[in-house]
Amino acid sequence: MAPELHAEAGPAGSSPWRLAFRRLRRNRVALAFGGLLILIVLFVLAAPLWAKHVADTGPNETHTLEKIEVDGERREVVNVEGRPIGPVWLGAGGKYFLGADGRLGRDEMVRLMYGGRASLFIGFSAALIATLLATILALLAGYYRGWVDAVISRTLDVIWAFPVYLLGIALGIALALGGLKLGPLEIPSGSIWITVLIIGGIYVPYMARPLRGAVLSLREKEFVEAAVAQGAGPLRVMFRELLPNLASTIIVFFTLAVANAMLLEAGLSFLGVGVQPPDTSWGAMVGDGFDLLSSAPLLTILPGSLIFLTVLSVNVFGDGLRDALDPRSKVRLEAHAGLAEPEGTAV
Amino acid sequence: MSKLGLKLLVLGAVFASACGVAACGDSDSKEGGTLTGSYASFPDYLDPGLSYTLEGWTAMYNTYLPLLTYAHANGEAGGKVVPALAEDLPEITNGGQTYTLQLRKGLKYSDGSAVKASDFPSSIERLFKLNSPGSGFYEGIVGAEKFAETKTGGIPGIKANDKTGEIVIDLTAPRGTFSNELGMLFAALLPADTPTKNLTSDPPPATGPYEIVKSEPGRSWSYQRNPVWAKNNGPLIPDLEAGNYDKIAITVVRNDSTQVNEIEQDQTDWMQTPPPADLYAEVKDKYEGTQFRIERPTNLYYFWMDTTRPPFDDVKVRQAVNHAIDSAALERIYAGALSATHQILPEGMPGHETFNLYPHDMAKAKELLAEANPSDTEVTVWTDNESPNDEAGAYYHSVLRKLGLDAKLKTINADVYIPTIGNVSTPDLDTGWINWYPDYPNPSNYFQPLLDGEGITPTNNINFARIDEPQLNEKITRLSEEPLGPEQEAEYAELDREFMELAPWAPYGTFTVSTFVDSEINLDSVIFNPTFGHDLTSFEPK
Repeated sequence: MAPELHAEAGPAGSSPWRLAFRRLRRNRVALAFGGLLILIVLFVLAAPLWAKHVADTGPNETHTLEKIEVDGERREVVNVEGRPIGPVWLGAGGKYFLGADGRLGRDEMVRLMYGGRASLFIGFSAALIATLLATILALLAGYYRGWVDAVISRTLDVIWAFPVYLLGIALGIALALGGLKLGPLEIPSGSIWITVLIIGGIYVPYMARPLRGAVLSLREKEFVEAAVAQGAGPLRVMFRELLPNLASTIIVFFTLAVANAMLLEAGLSFLGVGVQPPDTSWGAMVGDGFDLLSSAPLLTILPGSLIFLTVLSVNVFGDGLRDALDPRSKVRLEAHAGLAEPEGTAV
Repeated sequence: MSKLGLKLLVLGAVFASACGVAACGDSDSKEGGTLTGSYASFPDYLDPGLSYTLEGWTAMYNTYLPLLTYAHANGEAGGKVVPALAEDLPEITNGGQTYTLQLRKGLKYSDGSAVKASDFPSSIERLFKLNSPGSGFYEGIVGAEKFAETKTGGIPGIKANDKTGEIVIDLTAPRGTFSNELGMLFAALLPADTPTKNLTSDPPPATGPYEIVKSEPGRSWSYQRNPVWAKNNGPLIPDLEAGNYDKIAITVVRNDSTQVNEIEQDQTDWMQTPPPADLYAEVKDKYEGTQFRIERPTNLYYFWMDTTRPPFDDVKVRQAVNHAIDSAALERIYAGALSATHQILPEGMPGHETFNLYPHDMAKAKELLAEANPSDTEVTVWTDNESPNDEAGAYYHSVLRKLGLDAKLKTINADVYIPTIGNVSTPDLDTGWINWYPDYPNPSNYFQPLLDGEGITPTNNINFARIDEPQLNEKITRLSEEPLGPEQEAEYAELDREFMELAPWAPYGTFTVSTFVDSEINLDSVIFNPTFGHDLTSFEPK
């Protein structure tokens, strides 16, 4: 099993996964960004605690006419001209730490934390859905080939033919009003799951096509022939022989899909067809802050920076993971660019 | 423009504005020179038979004249119907069913051809042939409904005599607002051979002081003085000003911050739309009284409640909502561009008498809700996605939750918002945001379309509250048949109070607009007509 992962010789008795972990540990940049990603996840997970114990307000509660005491001075959350209060840091005991989000006077810090939960949830869930569907379709198409492959591949080609954002916008607008009804599956309009399914569905072909190629290649290997000769059925071959050999590729694709899904979510929400008000996400917050760009630029810069940092950490960590799980890919890449040492010296 | 479209255009707008700034020099805004202006988007049409937006009406106010028009004046005075191509106001006979007008003799179009009385019926027929959104205003003319279906044979209810210039219009029923409707741009006279198609890119000849000489849809259009105005039409219509500029050039600048910037740098004389919300206060502080002025049109912004379904079928719940809403908060949400009101007829509309039955009082609101004790507290709040309407909807949603209702917010694209909430089969149409810009300054234009139970339709319904009170319906119908006078105005004021006691809406304000001109224009001379907007003939250099 897993002949592809035995390519690099390691200490006797080390499993490929352990070898990969060792390689990952040596990649300090990837680990640093992995740590940053964990910090971001912890930051957004702490949203209810911050909202309840520090800010004393929910993410959607409006405070347009309220006043707060900042360092002993009474200040309006939104002034008579409709300008929101800026960051007060700890001047009001943590309330309005990053100021108010706009003319509705909602706490920007609370919105940022809850918005991050939505962005990360959508990023990971959509990537998971895309990965699951893409893997199943790739296994079916690559194993059965023939008409099964033709039907699956052409269907994926149809989705592939649409530009990602246009398809996302079209589906987002179409499903914004009536929700989604697919047999027993019924999702009301405005649900975050609509965005998850749209993004997950859009990215299926982008993962399924290369995975199908990998399956087609693996299917010709001796260990598959051996399994078939031993009487293994299609399901066993697909899920016990082929799937484990795709694991490293799938993991790497998954991390890249998380980053792409987060970016697409941000784009769709910025355009108003992703996460629906009064809920928010970082992309939606960039869109909301856009109207106040000249007077309150932080409302756009903060969520935009968090999207940037999260996507960057997911990508760098994903790259590190790829190098660890499949070191030859890095060598191949560098050799192509004329940078590589002879195979075996890399990593 | 929708929020989505606006954002998609940002990069393009930045590029275009950069090119625009580079290409623009100082405007030639001396008397006799060129008046320059900017619009945030191109008007819906530059065809008087088709345009149904303030942007289009502003653009054509001084180009295409109807038999009657609205006085070129600010505020309430601008709501007065005055003769334009007709010699006088109509003679109304036959119990309010016959209108007789006399066309001024010797009028010409800008191409030199004579204006004939028969151009009036052909212009009205053109509306029906084009399926114009304005055709409905003239369906009360005898035979018009049949013509709308067949589009042949003419409208027998209009008799025009080219020799005498007499025009006689017979209505199927008395219609107190018909003089207002004769003053709408839809009724502007065009030559009888005007093609029955959208003429935005090649506008027809004009009768007013200016003619449109070039139109590039989506980009710009420009005017020059109507060659027949000074010697011919102008002396015949002495009440209309000739204007102070030989040319007017309007450009579409989609980025409203760029529009402000160009005015501040005296590169453009005037912008049609108000400054953007985040610059509004700054512009107001810096230029009010010298280059900036707030105008109060007669629109109304309100939240409607479906009176036919729980919990809003209970008047106490609706009254509770009215008490719970704080207009002061909404004034801030609209960045100071909202003037609070708590009744149906806004200030400036005939029949308006200020009152407030529901001052903000959350405790009283909760008390009323407790008294009502509704069995169903789940409500869906509808709003569109254009700022600040989306924020008003989010505020309303938050207020209903504070009040104790289980409110959910539904924000949908502005392009489909009104058809969606106007379709009674749309599920969960409980309550939501809406605004109303009257077609003309007559209180009937509020009550009849918006609150008459007989006007409720399965689709394109605009009685969003679905209120149907037979006694009040009858009063609305009777008043709509009578010409507006002091007696009718008093009755409309009473009707306003009667409806607000039933609280089908929670009105919260009038959205003000503004006049913002560069330092070379005399702000005091600029007229903002409540129906047509800025009067381009009123602009004059300092």
